[in-house]
Amino acid sequence: MAELSIADIIDASCVNLHMKASTKDEVIREMADMFYKAGNISSLEEFIQDVYLRESEGATGLGDRVAIPHGKSNAVVKTSVAVGRCDCDIEWETIGEGPSRLFIMFAVNSRDKSKLVSLLAEVAVALCDEETVKALFLCEHASEVIALLNKEGR
Amino acid sequence: MKIVGIAACTAGIAHTYMAREKLMRAAEKLGHTARIETQGTIGIENELTAQEIAEADVVILAVDVKVSGEGRFKGKTVVRVGTAAAIKNPLELLVKIEKAINANQ
Repeated sequence: MAELSIADIIDASCVNLHMKASTKDEVIREMADMFYKAGNISSLEEFIQDVYLRESEGATGLGDRVAIPHGKSNAVVKTSVAVGRCDCDIEWETIGEGPSRLFIMFAVNSRDKSKLVSLLAEVAVALCDEETVKALFLCEHASEVIALLNKEGR
Repeated sequence: MKIVGIAACTAGIAHTYMAREKLMRAAEKLGHTARIETQGTIGIENELTAQEIAEADVVILAVDVKVSGEGRFKGKTVVRVGTAAAIKNPLELLVKIEKAINANQ
């Protein structure tokens, strides 16, 4: 079997660098919608409910205007990542300071123990690099986002 | 300092691995050696060896949930923090731990 890469968990259709959302709820819904349209989740409402469940367990904002909401949900058909960036600041619970603007949303099936879940971890690790995060705020194309997240942890 | 530790978060998807990476990076920057085990949704990775634990000056548990195998650290200096502390300010955390350990010697 060919080696899996970040490209296997991020589809360009799940990247939106100019989201319309202006509230936390709108961010979650707009991103869940990307997963739904890509066929990565089977139920919008069930997935959103699970994202909120995780939100209730602790802040997903990391500081530096980045947040990583995630849904571990039975509604997930394909373990994957969506990337959304807003043109305005969004109030978001965070372990750091300030609002968020860049969102990396993880969708993982509760039963999935495959290599795809390890790839999600690689994306999270890539976000530990300040230069990568800075670049994510500047890029304008989905392909750049995927390339940036692919760079680390290889 | 020789550091060993465990990272584990609620969902075991993202924060676990970020906490590990941040601690490893901070340790390297400060000239410490670090080995951090992760207990995530896919199970245990980078499992600590008995020798690594025996040689460690400190055990850092960056955990938000109950982890398995804490008995391995019996008799060791254990510092327990959440993954948030490790992700947010790993350098400060390690400096503080080092000071505390030196003060106790």
